[in-house]
Amino acid sequence: MSNERDIKNKIKSNSSLFTNFVKNAVSASPKVQNNFLDVSTQVALTVQKILEDADLILNLEYKGKDFWSENKCKTSCFVDGGVDKTSIISSAPLSIRTGSYIVKPDAADKNREFFEESMVFLGDLYDPKNELYDFAEDDFDEDQMLNKKKDGARIIFEAVTIVKHILLNRKFDYCFLHGPIEATVMPFTVMGFPTFTKFAVENMLPFYSKNKLNAEARHFINVYLEALNSIKKSKFPIYGIVETSNSAPYIKNLLFNYKSKGTISEKDFKNTLATIKKYKITDSHLLEIILQSGQAIKPLEVKKQIQGFGVTSGSAWEDKMDSFPSVHIGYIKINNHSAPIRIETLNPPKNLIKDYEYILATAKLLPNYGFPVGLNVVDKFAKIPNWMSKASRKYYATHLLKQAIRSKDQNTISLAVKILSKKVRSWRNRPLGGLAR
Amino acid sequence: MNTKKWKSIGTVLGETNISEFYFSLKNYKAKKGDIITTESKVPSSEGKIEEVTVWGKISSIESSNVFFPTEAAQELTNENINIRDTILPTTRDELICKVIILGFTLKNNLKLMPLNYPVRPAAPVSYPSSEDVEALLISDLNSEHPLFIGSLLARDAVKIKIDADNLVSRHVSIFGMSGSGKTVMVRRIMDELLKKKYPMLVLDIHGDYLGFIQKQKKLYPKNEVKLFYPNLSVSSDDKEIIYTLIDKLGNSLTDPQKDFLSSLLEKVKYEGGSLLKYIELLVRKAREYASDPSKSFKNIRPASMYVVVRSLGQVAKKLKNMEQTNFRHRQKMSKLKFEELPDAATEPEKIINKGQLSILYLKGYENLPASAIVSILLENLFKHRQEVEEEIPPFLTIIEEAHNFIPSRSEDKDNLPSVDTIRKVITEGRKFGTGVMIISQRPSRLDETIASQCNSQIVFRMVNQKDQRATTRDSETLSVDDSKQLPNLANGQGIISGQVVNFSLPVQIKFDAELINDDIGNENFISAVENWDDKESVKQRKKFAKDFSNITSIDRRRAN
Ligand SMILES: Nc1ncnc2c1ncn2[C@@H]1O[C@H](COP(=O)(O)OP(=O)(O)OP(=O)(O)O)[C@@H](O)[C@H]1O
Ligand SMILES: [Mg+2]
Repeated sequence: MSNERDIKNKIKSNSSLFTNFVKNAVSASPKVQNNFLDVSTQVALTVQKILEDADLILNLEYKGKDFWSENKCKTSCFVDGGVDKTSIISSAPLSIRTGSYIVKPDAADKNREFFEESMVFLGDLYDPKNELYDFAEDDFDEDQMLNKKKDGARIIFEAVTIVKHILLNRKFDYCFLHGPIEATVMPFTVMGFPTFTKFAVENMLPFYSKNKLNAEARHFINVYLEALNSIKKSKFPIYGIVETSNSAPYIKNLLFNYKSKGTISEKDFKNTLATIKKYKITDSHLLEIILQSGQAIKPLEVKKQIQGFGVTSGSAWEDKMDSFPSVHIGYIKINNHSAPIRIETLNPPKNLIKDYEYILATAKLLPNYGFPVGLNVVDKFAKIPNWMSKASRKYYATHLLKQAIRSKDQNTISLAVKILSKKVRSWRNRPLGGLAR
Repeated sequence: MNTKKWKSIGTVLGETNISEFYFSLKNYKAKKGDIITTESKVPSSEGKIEEVTVWGKISSIESSNVFFPTEAAQELTNENINIRDTILPTTRDELICKVIILGFTLKNNLKLMPLNYPVRPAAPVSYPSSEDVEALLISDLNSEHPLFIGSLLARDAVKIKIDADNLVSRHVSIFGMSGSGKTVMVRRIMDELLKKKYPMLVLDIHGDYLGFIQKQKKLYPKNEVKLFYPNLSVSSDDKEIIYTLIDKLGNSLTDPQKDFLSSLLEKVKYEGGSLLKYIELLVRKAREYASDPSKSFKNIRPASMYVVVRSLGQVAKKLKNMEQTNFRHRQKMSKLKFEELPDAATEPEKIINKGQLSILYLKGYENLPASAIVSILLENLFKHRQEVEEEIPPFLTIIEEAHNFIPSRSEDKDNLPSVDTIRKVITEGRKFGTGVMIISQRPSRLDETIASQCNSQIVFRMVNQKDQRATTRDSETLSVDDSKQLPNLANGQGIISGQVVNFSLPVQIKFDAELINDDIGNENFISAVENWDDKESVKQRKKFAKDFSNITSIDRRRAN
């Protein structure tokens, strides 16, 4: 284990903690700047001590050739979603799809690997007739709302893709999702966030018929909760894998547990949390310094949705937060030059070491990036290819003009033409409710 | 044509235009050079929309596994991991094909028309049946006299034919490195033309075409196949050629010596017949003048005259040598009947005649005399075609190892007489029915004017970049994509382009094994050695060699 000098050196030798700090140093007070190295070293030493005390550090084994020849019979599924970045003024196009890469290495060519496209949506979110979200007159800042809608759609699509694999009773040894296994739902609890259309929900969760799909049941929160509950029931292990953490859920929970046990005083706990916040220290930052390549830390149970936190408080959905399953979070450090990756599951892993070693091996195949290669593969697959984007942009452009022409209103038509000839998304005079009116 | 039966092999990608498109190909469903189709719609002149079949040729294929991260290769190598054991994708090669659009056809009509409206992105791409591809090619070629040469590369069922009329009148070049299949191709074409009784003259340096003589009775009973050996007979009109021959074959002469040679040629009239005889006559006469200089050449010193005598003697010796070498080669093939080449000036019909193939066997001759022989021969034959009262039918001249007869000016070969002749024959040939087929391993070494007059090209494997460049430079129809393929072609695979076809096609030439001259299986050195038996003279030499070497070694022994 590292001593104080080691840790200091590690921090200075270009760790992400240090880089991140240098980036933010301009805005930090002189005192914070001065103390950064000492404080972070002290935090790291303390966390390391607790991790050791709680016996949370695991040494994983990786024997490349042997590992793969022993594990070639396993079937793995990798899931990721891709969102098209296209945007045209005055319409909110969304091309989104989720893909699965399913591979069983020792199968014959024909059956060895499958790329599946599970969920696709191609539409205009400003179009009242779009099939994804119910149309809502949003007074909320439109850009932010639009991004939320896109995020919400992607999160649901990814979850639903996994649910479909479960429903179809696929025989996987592992399933991995690119991203958190349970997203923070807080952003979608804002007032005015639209509900999914009946059509969308029926397609996403065919078994979900609660209350005849009333508006409340079709809200993101309920649909997502339903999907998560299905995922939790899966017979095969499902892991969400996150590249870097920009928060410190593990450390905070670790400290919280120690506080609850009485090992840490309430005051020390509060102060440390404040320090972490002040210096913008994250799980990734600290564990990058503490863990050696090939080491992992055992998962901790963490609540993702915290009641009474931020925007959620007072929201209509506040009570719902407790119904969300808790998440088991662990970390694996793949190599010496990248931050550890975060591993999330809804259930505590049954074969922790085996599973983590599998994840380590898949990430070793991407030796520089240090991330499971299967997720990299499916990421490329799910990504909307460029030619598709071009095609979809053309589709929206003509779609928009057609709508304008149908309105037979000269002003609307000339407006549409003007809009089409603009490229940047600076147009602010979008007629309310779209051009179809 | 039942388009429903065609297999779907991919999808048109991205943005398209009227001359090319890209499509993503399903694994192993088509290859470079394949002809494929996609259904499309075009506006007709009457303002209707017509459903059409667009035909195209795959001009290149790129394969990439977009899902395979390069980083992974590093780990696989370092850890010696078998990729098939890992979760890395191994079967998802993305194949993107570039297609050159050939045109479109309407329902129930195979006439290929130029496309004037882009194909539809995302449309399925199909692999048409062999019969349909063949039907399209034939209908498109629209030839009165198609010649069968082989099949579409790696698509055996699609037979490829080329247009004989363009072939014999518009000139063809056949390029490719040694052993790539040029001669096999020429023999294939000759076989077809023989059946059409088209007269041909082949300049054969290696004896590659002697098979036609051997198999004449069996394969071409209705044709005549004649085998000639050269006869350097010149007429008084060919004085320049004679001068060049003597000048180039003999020792280099000073200006006064050259003057003497010219005067000598003036004085000693040539009556036609053997050039060798004439030169021998020149030697005699020159010696006479030299021994009595006062007689006719007052201002030339006898010493200079003797130099010319010696030089002429040199020329005579060389010519005799070449004749003898050629003779010895002929003797080896005792079963074949060789005839002396008739005088093309007076008896052209003995060389060019309906249904006749004439092979001029040039083995043993150096460039210059061979060039002179060819120049005189073609010059005369051409004259007979040019005249109002044609004495011989149109014919095709096949020039093997053409760099020997029409070297590029940059090659710095002193101007061979055949260059001008062939240039004339080829540029005016269209009018007079004197087509030429040029065969060479080194297109970059050929006379550019002549090479660029060849309106059709058949190119075989070619690795040398200079030659590749020369080939594409001389061709208007061979694309860059085509030329990229050249180094990878196998024996007998060529790309045919130009007026004998309508668009360039990769072809597997049919191999006519029976047309090989089996008298000289000269490519099989191993079995030649296996069956080697020393000649009597060599045996004798070897028998005594030991004894002689003993003598020498004893002789050299130091006294002690
Ligand atoms: N179409 C073909 N099918 C099968 N084999 C072929 C074909 N063409 C050529 N070959 C093989 O390659 C050999 C050489 O071919 P060929 O004599 O035509 O070469 P070339 O190009 O004339 O070479 P060079 O320039 O040396 O004369 C043939 O003897 C034959 O074995
Ligand atoms: Mg040859």
